Amino acid sequence: MPEVNGQSEIERLLEEMDRSLKRGLIPARIFNDPEIHRLELERLFARAWVFVGHETEIPRPGDYCLRYIGQDPFIFVRDEAGGVRVLFNACRHRGVQVCRAERGNASHFRCVYHGWTYKNTGELVGIPAAEEAYKGFDKSAWGLLPAPHVASIHGLVFASLDPQAPPLETYLGGMKWYLDLLFGLTEEGMEVIGEPHRWILEANWKIAADNFAGDDYHTLYLHKSMWDVNVFQVPPRANMMGYHVQAGNGHTISFSIAPDPNEPGPTFWGYPQEIVARFRPDRVSREQFELARRSRVSVGTIFPNLSFLTVPLTADPDRIPPTTFMTVRQWQPKGPDRMEIWSWALTWKEASPEFRERSYQACMASFSPSGIFEQDDTVPWPLMTKTAGTVFFGRRNEMLNYQMGLDGIGAARPVTDWPGPGVVYSPRYEEGVQRHFYRRWLEYMRAG
Amino acid sequence: MSDHHPQPLYQQVVDFLMYEAALLDDGRFQEWFDLLTEDVVYQIPVRTTRDREAGRGFSQQAWHMNETWGTLKTRVARLATSYAWAEDPPTRTRHFITNIRIRPGDAEDEVRVTSNVLLLRHQGDVPSAQFLSGERHDVLRRENGRWRLARRLVLLDQTTLGTHNLAIFI
Repeated sequence: MPEVNGQSEIERLLEEMDRSLKRGLIPARIFNDPEIHRLELERLFARAWVFVGHETEIPRPGDYCLRYIGQDPFIFVRDEAGGVRVLFNACRHRGVQVCRAERGNASHFRCVYHGWTYKNTGELVGIPAAEEAYKGFDKSAWGLLPAPHVASIHGLVFASLDPQAPPLETYLGGMKWYLDLLFGLTEEGMEVIGEPHRWILEANWKIAADNFAGDDYHTLYLHKSMWDVNVFQVPPRANMMGYHVQAGNGHTISFSIAPDPNEPGPTFWGYPQEIVARFRPDRVSREQFELARRSRVSVGTIFPNLSFLTVPLTADPDRIPPTTFMTVRQWQPKGPDRMEIWSWALTWKEASPEFRERSYQACMASFSPSGIFEQDDTVPWPLMTKTAGTVFFGRRNEMLNYQMGLDGIGAARPVTDWPGPGVVYSPRYEEGVQRHFYRRWLEYMRAG
Repeated sequence: MSDHHPQPLYQQVVDFLMYEAALLDDGRFQEWFDLLTEDVVYQIPVRTTRDREAGRGFSQQAWHMNETWGTLKTRVARLATSYAWAEDPPTRTRHFITNIRIRPGDAEDEVRVTSNVLLLRHQGDVPSAQFLSGERHDVLRRENGRWRLARRLVLLDQTTLGTHNLAIFI
């Protein structure tokens, strides 16, 4: 990396972005640069709280799934005592992965190289030929390395690799208020349906996190075919009515909400009566419950790379009513110009088998590798990444436009009587949510 | 199915599969859709890597596609709109169907067909292909003198899909 006055090209780029972001300008280069990618793994993914899975994916003792924090492999496992652990997937002897199946149930993990064996708590309990090879050896110091911090909210489990990380609740800041009304309305809460979708997209992970942070504007054009085939009942321009929330610490949420509180149309995201009857007003504040009632669509990003979406759609408009689903998706970095998308479908534990199946179908049909909504996102995201990697545009630090909603640009205005935390704008023609995401990204990236 | 003429039946099945592949590769999705029975079930389960003793890793609950006639109709209708950017410009697919084996079906007018599928997919000016491979487990049914697809289960070899989307049919 060429250095000028002791500062690398990338450090200067980040310093410049710190200024340009205030004017709604973001250098394209951050979306495709090997040095940025390397620094993200070290400065962002190794420090932030990163999603590893949902508690309902590992319901029984011994259940495990393989997961990644940044690009580092971890075992997400429920130990024999019922505790959830996040263990680095590498034998302490030579570093070989001790777990090679993607999911399953195991009381122990054994390294295939020399046979070192660990309990699902991570404790090293077996070494072949121990008497001859390791007499006097302190096994207790050589267990699988745990992620320094593991915590959950509404079953969503996060881990941080930074011993100095703040508690998860502090990290989530104002976002907790919104997660409570999204995931916490029923007694039993939500559960994951089946295994996540996983697929590769030749695009930078931030583009997807940014899209879900509140790029509702793109639905008007990129996703126009959805209205042509009637899979979504709220008309495109009407759907832009609602609120953008900068919830703090880089987390954002966007609500599609009609201007009139009593306007006909989906309430509670379009959930049917069988579900709405299970929503308990006493689990949240009156303001949270009213916001949930008025919500047609909610979409957002938990910084850095976990997004969610809940919306009523149908896979077959002639035969199936719009059906609400919740998808949680993680944009896993796989290189400067490559991500792996992981996508989970969730539903309420109280849902009937019929609704659960229909909800999964609506999710798969719209947001999955085959999802007719999401298919179209897979076109611009790689193209944006390609531009970011060009010499003429990317390497010359040309700027991309994130100015929508800045003072004097567009119709969005600050909302002063919002009942929840955060900085809020309405309607949704506004990119403050994305600027909020990148402000937080810069804080991590510049704290070298 | 009649067991008296295995060779012609086998040839009929091969002809059907080759014709179907040509329709898909030519982007003639409405004509492909017309090959489906109205009770068609079209499924691609999610797969995970599992220990040998845990089986082949095909999900019972998670699907890349789990389709009926109506949901496939929506997909085909969407591809025909002017805003189906995922396939406009279209990716170029090539279906290779091999290892075809047939068995009698559950009904008189049905035949069960197992085959291997190799699907190459080219996008834009990228010279290398994305590819998918797997097994197809089909049921063909004769309706009004014509073979139609009544059931397809695609068992993919990939766990993480190496293609940017499934805006195509396998």
